[in-house]
Amino acid sequence: MKLALIAGCVAGRRACRLLSEALHRCGSTVTLIGPAPDEAAAEPDWLPLPLPQLAASELLDHVDAVGVFLDGESLRQFRRIHGQAAALRGRSPRPLFSGPFRPLYGDALAADLLPRLGVDLLCLQGEAQLAELNWLVQGTPQAQQACEAIGLWCLPTAPIGHSISQEPLLVVLDQPEIPPSPFANGVLYERLCAVARASPHWQVRLQCDQPLPPDPQQWPQTSLGWHHLQSSRPPANLQLGDHADPLPGLIQARVCMGIGSDWLLPPMVWGKPTVVLGDYGIRTAFNGPLFFGSGVMRRLMDCLPLDALLNSSRPDPTWLAWRGWSIVDGPQRLLRRLEALIG
Amino acid sequence: MTLKLLLVADSDSQLLACQALADAVRALGGAVTVNAIPKPGTPAGVLGALERSGPLWAMSTTRLLADPRLEGFDAIGVYLTGSKLAEFRSTYRLSRQRQRQPLRPLFCGFNGVVLERFEEAIAWRLGYDLICLNGPRDQARLDLLLRHTPFQAQRSVITGLARNRPAPASSKARERILVFAEQVVMPAAPHERRRLVQMLARLARRSPDWQVLIKPRVAAHETTFHAVDTHISATLREALGSPPANLQLSYEPLPQLLQRSRLLATVSSTALFDALDFGCRPVVVADFGLRQDLGTPFFAASGLLRSLDASEDLDALEQGSDADPAWLHWVGYHPEFSAANLLRALTDLAGGVHDSAPLQLSHPGYVVNAADLSTNQLRRGAEAAIRCRDYDEAARLLEIAQLHRPDNRNIGRRLAAVRQRNRLLRRLALLVTPGLRA
Repeated sequence: MKLALIAGCVAGRRACRLLSEALHRCGSTVTLIGPAPDEAAAEPDWLPLPLPQLAASELLDHVDAVGVFLDGESLRQFRRIHGQAAALRGRSPRPLFSGPFRPLYGDALAADLLPRLGVDLLCLQGEAQLAELNWLVQGTPQAQQACEAIGLWCLPTAPIGHSISQEPLLVVLDQPEIPPSPFANGVLYERLCAVARASPHWQVRLQCDQPLPPDPQQWPQTSLGWHHLQSSRPPANLQLGDHADPLPGLIQARVCMGIGSDWLLPPMVWGKPTVVLGDYGIRTAFNGPLFFGSGVMRRLMDCLPLDALLNSSRPDPTWLAWRGWSIVDGPQRLLRRLEALIG
Repeated sequence: MTLKLLLVADSDSQLLACQALADAVRALGGAVTVNAIPKPGTPAGVLGALERSGPLWAMSTTRLLADPRLEGFDAIGVYLTGSKLAEFRSTYRLSRQRQRQPLRPLFCGFNGVVLERFEEAIAWRLGYDLICLNGPRDQARLDLLLRHTPFQAQRSVITGLARNRPAPASSKARERILVFAEQVVMPAAPHERRRLVQMLARLARRSPDWQVLIKPRVAAHETTFHAVDTHISATLREALGSPPANLQLSYEPLPQLLQRSRLLATVSSTALFDALDFGCRPVVVADFGLRQDLGTPFFAASGLLRSLDASEDLDALEQGSDADPAWLHWVGYHPEFSAANLLRALTDLAGGVHDSAPLQLSHPGYVVNAADLSTNQLRRGAEAAIRCRDYDEAARLLEIAQLHRPDNRNIGRRLAAVRQRNRLLRRLALLVTPGLRA
């Protein structure tokens, strides 16, 4: 099957690359297409095309189906132009599939799904998202929306080898906008310094969960990394991770920790001890509802000594399965549904 | 058995919810007292209506919990914002234990349709003996949230969205009035609020035989849950300059307006259900699309979505379809769901039909907002720990409180005091730093 996957933002591109690799292993040919974000971020495996031209492009006539993993307004624009261009050419629009490319839940999932309703196939992650979709569209004209759960496709959850660091390493996921004030971030940074000082035989690494500019001067003041650079005497065992990619750090970590980052899910799937910081409670803006049922929420001060985390803090497997972990044949499921769609 | 209920609320929308619940319970033979916690800016009209309909108290939470008359009630309904809800539950239990008084069932609910942050709201409400929900839609979402968690035993009851007694059929013809129920943050963006009033003005110009009345959520000097910079009257001036003569603001109470008007339009207000109660035809403004931030997805299956801009005039808008009965049932507007369900559930609780042990909120690996996570609860806990000379526990609680409120200097000072290792200096520091005022 020949497929095109379209994405715009960093998370969408990463997710599409993962899906493309999985589909390729199933024998499909996949072309990655998307507007080039900027010169520096140009990626060789992406076909750079501006969105309006891409939506109207005859290139899409040569694929069996198109996966559109754009955000709300871009997605609306793509669907409108693609439909109009196909009508002008006297052809049917290509079968479109789409879905959230982050592990969303609650209000965030509903907001993400609304502009996607009406596509030929909605790709969701697990039973939890299917149940939420049914709840959202109950009684509406979209109640019969075609959908398929294809697992946690958007995150690198494939098994990893034994590449953990020799020295115990705690990776703290730094979400540059959470908490949303520089002062609150400063307080959290001080707390993490205290954790590092109380655990001298551990390395504590602040790992940004999304790419930050190479120049630290441009880092947001609401990131832990920014506070670390301002600190005059940070603990010797507190360090910064790779500003561009959280994956290597997570692979090396013995324990992972964060407030509500999507990147907490891969270590959970890999079976690493993971802590969701519960100090802020269940707040929608902090992605709390997603992790409410995870079974690994605890307060920062209850994480000491860090050694105690090594034998605990595993997520509830039923919760993880409900989020999509139990689906191991996601790409095959997707291809089966697309084949049925194309007829 | 006549149930005696106490309802506790503070802000205007919660007081309105209490008013509706009190009326319904009284109509079913129950006795209700409302305690309106004093709060600046609470609309006098809301308090006046409460006073006219039954006993109204105006005590702070502290005074209320010390009042011996509390023992005379069979159950207490609490209609406060999230953190205050959790704090009330916690302090009520503590005060009963201290006074060696039996615990009465506590219940809470929502003051209208829940358009966003439902999970967060539930995380504050867990632990109440009963959570009142609007309809099967909210029940389904609660079940989704609690599935695979230790909180599945949380009790809830569906009490519906009907807030007014059905209006008796009037022989008097309704006036050609469209009431627009304004919401202060839906939409929130100033340019969208201007667009909204411009749409209403165009519709008024196309319908010279009609009157379009914008019903502001609150008057300019009053407050509601959401703080806003620009009152709708200012938006009207900014967007229109001189509005058409048949477009006006109206501060007449909504029930009165709805009893004489033909149409109600709203973006996503609970007033839609008030309109149904009073026999006024509602429409949902579809011009902004289905957007989570506007709460419009709630109405997607209602059959009431209409574009104001695409409507020829108000006569045409009035000819639309009725609300879909299946949707009305799904969201809770159905005779099956009423305050009678609450009274039945409370009677069952009192009769020991169900296990009445409070829901255990502390489980390893789970954090709920309701479990002593409001800043004041944390500070109160810290002060209790200081009195017991457990300074490590006090520091732990103050550290969490500081993460919640990093800008609160008193928390920071108190934390520095309990962290002081020198006994004498610590004692001195505790003397000069402010604890939590009762």
